[in-house]
Amino acid sequence: MTIKFKLLIVFCLALLCSTPWILSPYYMTLLLPAVAYSIILLGFNLLFGYTGLLSFGHAMYVALGAYTVAILTSRVGIKSMEVNILAAALVCFLISIPIGLLCVRYVRIFFGMLTLAFGMLFHSILFKFYDLSGGDSGIKVIRPSLLGFDLSEIDKTSFLIGPFFYYSIAVMLILALVMWRIVHSPLGLHLQSIRDNPRKAEYLGIKVHRFRLIAFVISAIYGGIGGALLVVPVGLADPELAYWTQSGNIVFMTIFGGFNNFFGPIIGAFAFIGLKDQIVSQTQYWRLVLGIVLILLVVFLPGGIMGLFSGKKSVAPAQEER
Amino acid sequence: MMPILESKGVSKHYGVYKALQDVSLQFFENEIVAIVGPNGAGKTTFVNVLTGLLKPTHGEVSFHGKSIAGVGPVTLAKLGMARAFQLVQIFPQLSVQETIIAAVISQRNMQYNFWSNVGSKSELIERALEVAAIFNLDKKMARQASYLSQGEKKLLDIASAFALSPEVILLDEPTSGISTGEKRGIMDTLMAAAKLAGIKTMLLVEHDMELVAEYSTRIVALAEGKLLADLPPDVFFNDPELQATIIGKRVNHA
Amino acid sequence: MTAFIDIVLSGIFHAAVLFLLAGGLQLVFGVQKIVNLSCGAFYALGAYFGITFVNLALQQGISSSYLLALILLAGIIIGLVGPLIERLLCLVYQREEGFQLLLTFAIMLVLEDLIRMLWGATPMTLGNISMVYGKLNFASTTIPVYKALVIGSSIFLALALGWMLQRTNFGRIVRATAENRRMSEALGVNGVWINVAIFTLGTMLGTIGGALVVPTSAASLDMISEVVVEAFAVVVIGGLGSMRGALVGALIVGLLRAFAVYAYAELELLLIYLIVILVLIIKPSGLYGKAAE
Repeated sequence: MTIKFKLLIVFCLALLCSTPWILSPYYMTLLLPAVAYSIILLGFNLLFGYTGLLSFGHAMYVALGAYTVAILTSRVGIKSMEVNILAAALVCFLISIPIGLLCVRYVRIFFGMLTLAFGMLFHSILFKFYDLSGGDSGIKVIRPSLLGFDLSEIDKTSFLIGPFFYYSIAVMLILALVMWRIVHSPLGLHLQSIRDNPRKAEYLGIKVHRFRLIAFVISAIYGGIGGALLVVPVGLADPELAYWTQSGNIVFMTIFGGFNNFFGPIIGAFAFIGLKDQIVSQTQYWRLVLGIVLILLVVFLPGGIMGLFSGKKSVAPAQEER
Repeated sequence: MMPILESKGVSKHYGVYKALQDVSLQFFENEIVAIVGPNGAGKTTFVNVLTGLLKPTHGEVSFHGKSIAGVGPVTLAKLGMARAFQLVQIFPQLSVQETIIAAVISQRNMQYNFWSNVGSKSELIERALEVAAIFNLDKKMARQASYLSQGEKKLLDIASAFALSPEVILLDEPTSGISTGEKRGIMDTLMAAAKLAGIKTMLLVEHDMELVAEYSTRIVALAEGKLLADLPPDVFFNDPELQATIIGKRVNHA
Repeated sequence: MTAFIDIVLSGIFHAAVLFLLAGGLQLVFGVQKIVNLSCGAFYALGAYFGITFVNLALQQGISSSYLLALILLAGIIIGLVGPLIERLLCLVYQREEGFQLLLTFAIMLVLEDLIRMLWGATPMTLGNISMVYGKLNFASTTIPVYKALVIGSSIFLALALGWMLQRTNFGRIVRATAENRRMSEALGVNGVWINVAIFTLGTMLGTIGGALVVPTSAASLDMISEVVVEAFAVVVIGGLGSMRGALVGALIVGLLRAFAVYAYAELELLLIYLIVILVLIIKPSGLYGKAAE
């Protein structure tokens, strides 16, 4: 990474940190989900951009994280955000292992369908089992304490725009750093080789299924932590978080930012949320506009926003005989 | 001397169809063995059994005395055998350096390391350069694999197999798809590479009999699933009947 | 006993409609190898347009006893948007599956809002008009004649499709292209026309399905995303690309759902997803599909 680029990142971070003084509270409330989604998409892209697996059920891990926090804070009474985040990560870790073991044996459309099926299975469970999950009304999320500080006296907006905002950024930074090291590590290289040519990877002694599972689990953990951060401002965990169209949005956002680039997902999260907000404020037919954006993206700019800047050729996978 | 790789009475049946019948062969160190035969002779099936891809219906196949029947490509690589295929296999988006390093990581069991930066691990980069140099790819380390010429891709494919430091390497028609003019260049590179990489045994499935004549130390011929001949080149090429069965004409070689 | 027959009839009715939607998916996947996530939108389109068309016809004085014909006609007419969508889709034929999937997802978003624009966000119904044909006594229970007619129409369409695929030249070409596209193009088949024809046919089956169901239920925007999951369950169980699979899969899903709703309401869709997962694990190619990975 060049010095110029490092400076750019520092600049962007500084800009982000200074937003409470620059932007109105309304725009600040948009930044919060953007930070949460940055984490979710970073994890998703490990699976998609780096390992080549397209999951259409990723939203279930976001929902798992969200519901973990909801249950812990409002039903069990554990207010510590750190414990909640760890719990969300643990829950996703545990649940993604058996699901991943099953799913990574299949590729392409079958992987997509399996993950979609699991996602919708989870959605049904959330929806139907009222006693467990509060049904379609969901479960409330009580404001957690940050780093041991009980901040319940501050009003909601100040809490969200102030301490919680910086907390989220800190979590995002830590997780981004970890992800950076993962993708540039020997493990990360093996994931990319599996993406490019799984058969050849096997002949180089790489256990393809095992590494796909590792990517799957890590992406699930990131999804859960992101879900935990996502749900605090909303104050409610509801089943729609796990609906398959949410999984579709996750894919949309990742492609929007650029899946061929490490920073693509982060850019995608901020850009998409910003764009959607602008569109929603202009017209009630925002789905139409976003749909057209996605069409243009897929047809003309598959590399996403970061694809505009990078010189690398867009992904053309090893052509398989159909 | 113990054979490094051995098949004992290997047969492979698909229902009534007998792809291989009772093929017994021993392969030793310092051999360059060409496996020849007409199409449908069972060469590919035999090689698949030999490399643990297929389980034989009858018989055994072993590497250093240990059975490798049906172990699969991953275990094969870990045991010390590498294989490259007729159709060039690359990692399109990885650079030459990354491709070779991927193999080195696997060979050195560093694959669970998720923290070190591959780009700054000199031990990996140096080893990759070493291997690349053998194949004249050392000036192209940063080039993305999909942008290499067909010949270079082939060399990269084989180079990554060599980077596993295998004892035995099996190459399926290494010069297929390469223009005639380049073939000998590739073969010379391969032979030099084998020496430099410390490869003990090389097996080649080849159709080009002139190359077979020039480069191999031993010829194994299969026809209709059976072992037809197991001879050194000079004896093999002096037998007109054999040649007629395998290739249909005499080869003139210097 | 009455309850049992009611459930079975309800299941078969649901299956009849589901078959059309899933059949459309199978055609498109089988020949073009594209998974159409927007199939729900076409289904909804058929439903909404069906309502508009029938109401229009009734206003013109046409008797409500022509309901079935009107509905079928509506489904066919709106299905003609197929070629337009296909021309958009053709831009990504050469691309990776993920992008194709995303494009159909985008089409779904666009169509949903177009429907919203044209018909609004509130669900619409055709009231009681489906009772125009009266009821039929069947075993110990009754079934509206309309529903029986729908089941009949679906069977007729299934047979027609089967005949088309097995006995006509067009059908042979379709099957050949599904088997090996490059070869069939090398033999002179015009790939472009096949794509347009198949996609339109697939779309039309979906719109007809939506139109047929609307007199007995409602047209709502929720249909768009909800029905996709059921349709995929059918396709997975029956096997990707197989029309026979669509038929059997639809029956299984339709009947299972009917029983689940009656016996364990919570399990309704859950059961379906579990079965999908089981099928994908045990036999990914489904009952009649080609072998998977």
